[in-house]
Amino acid sequence: MTTALEQELKEMIIESLELEDVTPEDIDPEEPLFVEGLGLDSIDALELGLALQKRYGITLESDGEASREHFANLKSLAALVEARRVK
Amino acid sequence: MSFRELRARPWRDRSNETPLVWCPPHGDEPGREIALSAWHRRIGAWQALLERHDDGRGAWLLFEPDPVAFSAALIAIWERGEAVILPADNQPETVRRLAEHGAALGEIPGAPRAGADRDPQWTDRPLSEVAVTLFTSGSTGAPQRLVKTFAQLDAELATQAELWPQAGCRVISQVSHQHIYGLFFALMRPLCEDATLVADTCRYPETLNAWLDACARDTKPAVVISAPPALSRLPESLAWQPGARSLRHVYSSGAPLARADSDRARALLATPIHEVYGSSETGGIGWRIQQQGEAWTPLPGVHIECDEAQRLWLDSPHIATAGWQRQADRIQRLPDSNDFLLLGRADPVTKIGGKRLSLTAMDQAIVALDGIERAMSLPLQRRELRLAAVVALSPQRVPQHHAEHRALVRDLRRQLAAEFEPALLPRYWRFVSTWPTNAQGKLDAAIRQRLFADLDDRRAPRWLGEEAIADGFRVTLEVPERCQFLDGHFDGQPVLPGVALVHWAMALANRLFVDPMTFAGVERLRFTSPLLPGDRFTMTLTRRSGTPKLHLRCEGGRGEHASGRIALTGETHDT
Repeated sequence: MTTALEQELKEMIIESLELEDVTPEDIDPEEPLFVEGLGLDSIDALELGLALQKRYGITLESDGEASREHFANLKSLAALVEARRVK
Repeated sequence: MSFRELRARPWRDRSNETPLVWCPPHGDEPGREIALSAWHRRIGAWQALLERHDDGRGAWLLFEPDPVAFSAALIAIWERGEAVILPADNQPETVRRLAEHGAALGEIPGAPRAGADRDPQWTDRPLSEVAVTLFTSGSTGAPQRLVKTFAQLDAELATQAELWPQAGCRVISQVSHQHIYGLFFALMRPLCEDATLVADTCRYPETLNAWLDACARDTKPAVVISAPPALSRLPESLAWQPGARSLRHVYSSGAPLARADSDRARALLATPIHEVYGSSETGGIGWRIQQQGEAWTPLPGVHIECDEAQRLWLDSPHIATAGWQRQADRIQRLPDSNDFLLLGRADPVTKIGGKRLSLTAMDQAIVALDGIERAMSLPLQRRELRLAAVVALSPQRVPQHHAEHRALVRDLRRQLAAEFEPALLPRYWRFVSTWPTNAQGKLDAAIRQRLFADLDDRRAPRWLGEEAIADGFRVTLEVPERCQFLDGHFDGQPVLPGVALVHWAMALANRLFVDPMTFAGVERLRFTSPLLPGDRFTMTLTRRSGTPKLHLRCEGGRGEHASGRIALTGETHDT
């Protein structure tokens, strides 16, 4: 069951990364976002960080590797937004 | 000036004032410095490892993301007077291809890494003439072997040390030292100029922000080795000002930085962005600060010329061969000046996210896959030149709907990932059954534009080819998944409304038919089954000459979607 926030994040990922042939239904909340799975890459990681900042006011921690663990899949991303959103 | 060239082995000793390595703060751990003697014992550990794994070839394939381990391994190999080969990445296919050239070390499957600390052995064994061998993407598609001699590197290191001295600075790198830019700026320069290496690569803007703050707190000057992907995405929400006080230089290389990104990065970091233009083959050629002008200034000692074909000629101490050499880049000289504008490359090599890619190699790799008849990859002038691919498939493999399209793209990307890094893989795919060409048989710029027009126009269909038939044309289209016409947030199943189909038919008819057409209404137009996002279909448009009616028929994998007539101005229509 996809939550409203997960649905919103799916749409944000598709829009901000310009994934032309991915629909929200294609993104499995448990599947890795990077490399295998959705196939995002290092440029997308930077772009996604910016999008989270703009949309939710989230500043990722300076320990980049740890903060990118939030990016493992859609569920972890949603957990990050829930815990840290300021807008 | 504290510069010492590589051939003077500046790694063996240095003044006590500048530590060799700085480990930035990490979580709760404060930052710390690694003493020269401790780093020497890492070199000793690698020396012991090399001794054990020596297979007599005298050449080593080194891929090691950790800057401290990498630098120790590099020096250990140099001290043996042996050769270092640097693969650009550790993708399985890259490593397999290079395996014959040397014994693998570091983060390569099955390769050893150094163990416990040991005292280093300094002998008077001479350094080899060649410092490093790199493999880069050449225009033919085959990886190109490139050697850098100590003499070449020393010439360039001396030039830069004089132009932009950085003694005592902490050199923070956002780029890989497996490529010459990072190797040269973030590792060799600090070694030779009595500056400090940083123990980790700085991949993210939040990390950069924190490290700069730490440098400011420690009152240590900092230098940042960066590239357009990172500099164009510095968040304005972070407080850059406190850390920026520590900044002495920010470098960008790999690809030109957009002017707007340069302005923004300069404002946030309160430091001009020095862009360096060069390549693995040529070393540094020129530099610029965009707020002073778009043109590039040749580096001291580098001579440039431009021929009638606008091709760049170089005579540079940073190139192995003496004398004038013709380059793949095209330039334009400014009048009465040595400065020049960059116009682009004359061969099919491109850069994506600062990484070099041979389009020929990509095309060959795609065509080698099962069921592919022809392929052309091309960088799109958007989103940092993300790669697109036009692929001709055997008819039974052409995807008919979204799920098939998505499965095919995933399959192709997965197969290509054995050879290319993820960021280099095509992201925008156009599958055709007939290679689309102009009247001269070429897939030209106009057709390229048409194939990808839906990316910029969210109301356009995805165009995949067209052919002339009796009295008209048959056009192959797909419904883009993000098309603005999609009706959709109810019931979770968006469909393309009939009115959008009529709109597309009129737009296509006006381009394809000689006589202009104006819509007057529809006649007996039936929408027999809905078109869904990702559906592929053919739209057949016919008009008997002289009649004011356009016949429309759309068919896809599930059968007919629509058929009927569109009345054109001048004709009364029944309703």
